[in-house]
Amino acid sequence: MDALSYFAMSWLDPSLLILTALGTFLGIYVGAIPGLSVTMAVSILISFTFSWDVNDALCLMVGIYMGGVYGGSRTAILLNIPGAPSAIATALDGYPLAQRGEAGEAIGLSTIMSVIGGFIGIIVLAVAAPNVSEFALSFQPRDYMMLAVLGIMLVGSLAGDSLAKGIFAGAMGMLIGTVGLDPLTAEERFTFGVTELWNGINPVAVMIGMFGISEALNQLHHLDKMAVKQKIDRIIPHWSNIKKYFGLSVQSSTLGVVIGALPGTGGDIAALMAYDHAKRITKNPEVPFGKGAKEGLVAPESANNAAVGGAYIPMLTLGIPGDAVTAVFIGALFIHGLNPGPLLLTEKPEMFWFTVGNLTLANIFVLIFGLTGIRLFAKIVECPKGILIPLIFLLSIVGAYSINNSVADIWWMLGFGVLGYFMKMYGYQLGPVILGVILSRLMDENWRRAIISEREDLGSFFLNLASSPLSAFLLTSIVLIFLSQTPVWARWIRPLWAGKEDKAQA
Amino acid sequence: MSEVVPKQPGETLFGFLMLALSLFLFWQSYEIAGFSALSSPGAFPMAVSAIMVISSCVAIVHDFKRPADSFEWQHFFERILPPVVGVMIGIIFVFAVMLETVGFLLTAFAFLVVTIKMLHKGTMAYTTLISALGLVVIYLVFRVIFVVVLPEGLIPESDIMSAIKEMIG
Amino acid sequence: MKKRLLSTIAALAFAAAPAFAAEYPSKDIQGIIQWGAGGSTDAVMRAVSPHAEKVLGTDIVLTNKTGGVGAIAMKYVNAKKGDGYTLLMGAENPQMYKVLDLANIDYNDMIPVSILARGTPIFVARNDAPYNNMQEMIDYAKANPGKVKVGSTGPGGLTSIVMAMVDSQVKLDVTSIPYDGDGPALTALQGGAIDVMPSVLGASIEHVKAGRMKVIGLMDETPHPLLPGIDPITKTLPGLEKLLPWGPFFGVFVKADTPADVVTKLSTAFNESAQQPDFKALMDSRGFTLMGISGKEAQDFLTAYRSVSSWIVYDAGFAKKSPEEFGIKRPE
Repeated sequence: MDALSYFAMSWLDPSLLILTALGTFLGIYVGAIPGLSVTMAVSILISFTFSWDVNDALCLMVGIYMGGVYGGSRTAILLNIPGAPSAIATALDGYPLAQRGEAGEAIGLSTIMSVIGGFIGIIVLAVAAPNVSEFALSFQPRDYMMLAVLGIMLVGSLAGDSLAKGIFAGAMGMLIGTVGLDPLTAEERFTFGVTELWNGINPVAVMIGMFGISEALNQLHHLDKMAVKQKIDRIIPHWSNIKKYFGLSVQSSTLGVVIGALPGTGGDIAALMAYDHAKRITKNPEVPFGKGAKEGLVAPESANNAAVGGAYIPMLTLGIPGDAVTAVFIGALFIHGLNPGPLLLTEKPEMFWFTVGNLTLANIFVLIFGLTGIRLFAKIVECPKGILIPLIFLLSIVGAYSINNSVADIWWMLGFGVLGYFMKMYGYQLGPVILGVILSRLMDENWRRAIISEREDLGSFFLNLASSPLSAFLLTSIVLIFLSQTPVWARWIRPLWAGKEDKAQA
Repeated sequence: MSEVVPKQPGETLFGFLMLALSLFLFWQSYEIAGFSALSSPGAFPMAVSAIMVISSCVAIVHDFKRPADSFEWQHFFERILPPVVGVMIGIIFVFAVMLETVGFLLTAFAFLVVTIKMLHKGTMAYTTLISALGLVVIYLVFRVIFVVVLPEGLIPESDIMSAIKEMIG
Repeated sequence: MKKRLLSTIAALAFAAAPAFAAEYPSKDIQGIIQWGAGGSTDAVMRAVSPHAEKVLGTDIVLTNKTGGVGAIAMKYVNAKKGDGYTLLMGAENPQMYKVLDLANIDYNDMIPVSILARGTPIFVARNDAPYNNMQEMIDYAKANPGKVKVGSTGPGGLTSIVMAMVDSQVKLDVTSIPYDGDGPALTALQGGAIDVMPSVLGASIEHVKAGRMKVIGLMDETPHPLLPGIDPITKTLPGLEKLLPWGPFFGVFVKADTPADVVTKLSTAFNESAQQPDFKALMDSRGFTLMGISGKEAQDFLTAYRSVSSWIVYDAGFAKKSPEEFGIKRPE
């Protein structure tokens, strides 16, 4: 019964209730504005809420976190600028939907799916936290590496018409990710002696440039075309639609919780992998992926919000952050005199159910705030292009600047914006570039850790790839996905399943 | 599903540029640590840039098989880089150069007025009003609510802010 | 309740502290944190600043400026005017910049406002490792060359210096596996990807208390109150006595040409803040030793730290330049 009373604490105390609401509301905007990140907002709040009671401070921060992860989808759908890396996959099909006049429905659907994902994350946190965190700890460097390989195979789905150009773009992204002082040896890589490059090129700057700037430049071609009229009569999606995508949403959310719980990966990777999963299991989408498939919206949005609950799992049980935001939360708990660590739940058992209850509450506020005001937002897209485009440029510039308070990020954004513009013109897709940037460090670092652990012996490295059940499972998945995406499958294995329609050739 | 798309003006040239870039980056990756060890900081960049070299070669070969109109600069400036795009890139460039010295408020305002006037072609009063409105919203959100310290430049913002604060507090 | 809400809005909108129009802090002060949000430097600085704000009667706007092992933040502060409105809030790393060839300035070229606290390095190992103290670990590593996997945070990081100190006394063949920070490395230790890890006490103490890893060594000359029964390393390796005590620290710094009265004001504010009970409690629980020193005392501390660290990495062979080039004296 104690559990229930802690769970309900933030629901019954009006001040906690309002702080959670306020946090969620602010969070949606933090998430939606490119360049402002939840990590940044939460650390600013640490100083502001220093003298507060710890529960008050936590409510505000939890709200920001939950709202922020959801908010990234807003600008991704409306303007093709993902508000945060975890909304990149959302832009792939969300923006085409808005271009077809279905922004309202897209936002409505993504809200519902985010909330479902959020709840699944919370449920897993509530019932299985200790097991999941021990499972997450058992990932070895080689497993992380294979996870990155699984992720990078998405290039196959994102490449568009030319696979070669897609692979090129993905490899380029991975190379962009390696720029700067090598995090393991502090060796300079592609820095050309410039100190400003030591910290590497911020993925968010690349993202704003490649998505926002290049799209806005592209829009300049069609200035005379009228803005798309948005259908806003239907905001809350049909019940039948929710039912139809519910299965996919649950699968994506499960993926999201696990990826979120792993200490080395977060919502961005979860969303991309869920997108890939959706693309693979959806046999006949109503609309092709990349042109506005609803499945391509459902999967990433469920996964990235489920990753929130996932990220809390190792944090609450072991004091190990599941992602960058929970790392800041740990700092906040310290400052408030708690000792976040494996003993937290022994010393302060109420913390667990309080957090679970609070996350649930914040998730409900996401639903409320998410579904109100959509009409107004959808109108943004109808604003005359001659006014909208300059504002997008200014927002991108300020956003890039605020990542690290430096003009250098504006240069990167502009550079990648122009490069991305030409790449798009010439048939190179930009999705793989961002994918590469995000996965680069995961791949590079863990490959090196894995091979150093084997003292540079490739033989024992490969032997170990199959040594644990987990590694063997990941390896098998990689092989199967690889085979299913290459001609080997279509030519020799596929015919064995007679009677299936051959549509995958395209 | 995909029919053969005719080549865009400049596509082959761009392909070769990308190949050149890849080769340059491969050489740079080699410079990091050579072929010293599988775990060296240069190993991963070398592998990735090698993939870039190979895939850009494949892309070029594929592109040769596609039909193309004869290349003319006129087409390039119509379909790929119309003047308005070039001018826009130039204006953002100038914006970034001036930001630190002149300060955020002045440059951003000038940027909005010039670009909205250029693209939307409304009256001057309307343009100024819209620009001011947009700027105020962005300034409030970034500087005031989320305390991002934007470059001050010529306007002594922090002095004004603390003066306002003193008046209120 | 209403008040709390109002204060939130006020805080978010204008930041609440009233401004007294005194001569020095007549506007907001910018605090540049060398490390990212969520790190220990970030946490310490965000905990101490609200107190200092009260003493100074102005806001301190904290900004994280990461990169280049902290060198970018340091260069940024030094490019600003030396008027006391831009503070550098950092950890120990800059004292190695010169020998590692990362930058040509370090804390000795700035004025220390306050050195807030210092940490103690310890050795932790995974629970099922077949050794329980330093001597056993050294014996095991000698008997099984290359088998002990040690977590590392890159050359110049705490782990590399501690390992170099041990190496200066006894040569061990271990495999060192690099991580980008002690957090991820300690996680890997619990997952069994590494066996041993030199770490700062505060980062691992909670895991140790919960029995998820064990302490096998203490890099100090005297036992630590939080670690009863753990012998200081000087018992095993007496040769280390001349290098200890040594440990990472946190401090606030300003540019060298800042007027003396401004520095005094800032020093008073930060040293007073470091003595606040809740800050003290925070430091104690994380196993940091509170310092709160400035002036000559702080400069001597910085010089000693630089001399030990620079020479130890130089002798271990991963310094890019000799400490002699910069007139850094070898520790006696």
